[in-house]
Amino acid sequence: MQVERRRAFLRRFAGALAPIGLLVLSALSASAQAPSDFAGNPSPLFQAILARPSDLNNTLQYAAAASADDIESAIGTYEQLLFYNPTLSRVRFELGVLYFRLGSYELAHSYIQSALQMRDITPDLRERAEDLIAIIDKKLQVDQFTGYVQTGLAYQTNPGAGPGAQPVLASGRTFNSSFFSKPDWNWFGAFGLNYVHDFENQNGDTFEASAVGYDAEEFRLHQFDIGLLELRAGPRFGIPTGNPNTSLSIKPYLVATGALLADAPYYGGLGGGLTVHTNVGRVALDPYAEIVQQSFRNSSFYPLARGLSGTLSTYGLQASGPLSNGLGWQSRLGFGHASDHYGPYGYDVYAADLWLPWNFSFPGDGRVWTLNPSAGVSRWLYAAPDPNIDPAITPRSTEWRVGLGLEVPIWKHVVLGTLVQYRADRSNVPAFTMHDLQVSAGPTLKF
Amino acid sequence: MRAYGMIAVLLAMSALTGIPAAAQQVGTATAVNPLSERTPPGAATVPLTVGARIIHKERIHTTPSGTAQLAFLDKSTLSIAPNTSVVIDEFVYDPNSGKGHMLASLTQGALRFVGGALSHQGEASIATPAAAVGIRGGTVTIVIDRTGVHVIDQFGIITIHNGAGTTVLNRPGFEVTVLSWNTPPGQPERVTLAEIDRLLVLLTSKPWQNGGVPGLHTVNIGACGILGLQSDNCPDTPWVPTDTGLNDANQIITQGTQQGTGTTVRTGPRGGP
Repeated sequence: MQVERRRAFLRRFAGALAPIGLLVLSALSASAQAPSDFAGNPSPLFQAILARPSDLNNTLQYAAAASADDIESAIGTYEQLLFYNPTLSRVRFELGVLYFRLGSYELAHSYIQSALQMRDITPDLRERAEDLIAIIDKKLQVDQFTGYVQTGLAYQTNPGAGPGAQPVLASGRTFNSSFFSKPDWNWFGAFGLNYVHDFENQNGDTFEASAVGYDAEEFRLHQFDIGLLELRAGPRFGIPTGNPNTSLSIKPYLVATGALLADAPYYGGLGGGLTVHTNVGRVALDPYAEIVQQSFRNSSFYPLARGLSGTLSTYGLQASGPLSNGLGWQSRLGFGHASDHYGPYGYDVYAADLWLPWNFSFPGDGRVWTLNPSAGVSRWLYAAPDPNIDPAITPRSTEWRVGLGLEVPIWKHVVLGTLVQYRADRSNVPAFTMHDLQVSAGPTLKF
Repeated sequence: MRAYGMIAVLLAMSALTGIPAAAQQVGTATAVNPLSERTPPGAATVPLTVGARIIHKERIHTTPSGTAQLAFLDKSTLSIAPNTSVVIDEFVYDPNSGKGHMLASLTQGALRFVGGALSHQGEASIATPAAAVGIRGGTVTIVIDRTGVHVIDQFGIITIHNGAGTTVLNRPGFEVTVLSWNTPPGQPERVTLAEIDRLLVLLTSKPWQNGGVPGLHTVNIGACGILGLQSDNCPDTPWVPTDTGLNDANQIITQGTQQGTGTTVRTGPRGGP
């Protein structure tokens, strides 16, 4: 039975991964096709440019077609159009974006700044140009800071991720009713801060640091009040590849995490990791390995927490890339192994998540809206039966989660963020089965 | 080094033999502001016009008001500033294999080279009085002025080589200055925005010019993300953060609940770099 269950799980897990795999393969395939455009006979549109450069319709068509995957060819063609009329803000903006995509931020800045000075610029293009200038200005700094601050209200049907009413466990123990599934509202605040110091050498070496904070205060169920702070820092070393289209870097880092739960010290983690960044075409790949020594403290609400202390090893791959106009994808595949002081708490977990952020604007409005659907699955395989729950069953759980985020621009760098997220956990241990619907909303300042 | 050796041999051969290259078209003048001139090998200097066929060993010269853009068979382009002299020394390109090589000489002025098939294989070079510039990628701006030869990497791997040494630019936005052939190329430095702004003005038409093609009054290009219009030119703008701490908090609470209820516990592969 155990083998059958494992096979069934592997089939389901493979099914969940299939869409991500397809996305990665399609993106890799698209990026791999780009260079082949140079081999073989040039396109009829390009041949027509050589034969009749003053055919404006042909030149425009070629420029638009080349923008997707042949950036330099598109640059050459838009610069040709700019020779014909140097006062066109739209052409200057397109050139700025193309150079931005190449990482040539100075030239991108120059083109976009000059677009802002053209008489024909529309309000929506001006707004987009100013946004991009702000991004470029940061990228040109030796010390770069980016981040966000967010606050708001959230409603959850089950903030504690507790099971439905189940007064007695298989072990014979009585269920702690403080942790039954109950709805509540909370106030939450979050921030993220990223820092990059550019050493300005030809390898592109940098020092990077980030901080993420999250705090949620429940209206009634204060046993679920939580505060979390995570810090990461480390140098990133660029590795020359000899191919300007492929970047490669490696980054060792330290990570420190602290958390309060029910307004009492609960968790501290200290560790380190190693991550590599590379790209295949426009697909960014960031595999990583991390090990963290976890330390938990008992408290009145959580008297058994110390048993969770131990070592957590994580291995994963983060990947992202564009799909089409304004639509991108981001995914994370991970495997974790926990060796905890209390043996039954140890586990292996496999996880896969996918986000599909879509940036879009409405005609006549240059402000960018973002819709971000997401989905993920985790499979938990515990080390041994826990006599406190059911001495006969080794817990196995599968968590599914889907979400939909929407960011509505309000004013300059402030957006109204809303998130709807549903989580459901199915387990061979009834006490682990739960579901939770969360709806949250609040303003976010991005900088 | 082998590429430079080959370039030197090609230059020496062409200089010694003095044989006019075959009048095979290697590119087209896609934009021209007067007065710009062309001197085909073995022929007289004539005004350069839009649509003119560019051939081997052709010399292009611009006057103080002249600018031009050339497009080549491999999809590379040269934007040429006023008061500039360029010779297309060699251009060999097989469109079926995508292979070949290109060598141009800049003796005066400024230009921007935007790469195509040949430069993607590292087979494009621009010779200047102070250094040979090898291009892999790539997009490069080269300026000759009283302070030397300035090579600005706009994209790609740019190798600056002369009789005294070699410097390689790997990052866009950096430049190297070379004083003479017998002086080592300088160290890479950040190019200033003011310098890029100045070159942008130099390397295109003035507001009253039209590059030899009148009639372009507007273009209908949809900026990335604007609904209803077509453009695939989207910047890789930052996405909404996917790790706001909410997921980590959910996992901590979940494990706390299971532990707090007397059931088992769990943590997960939180975060990631």
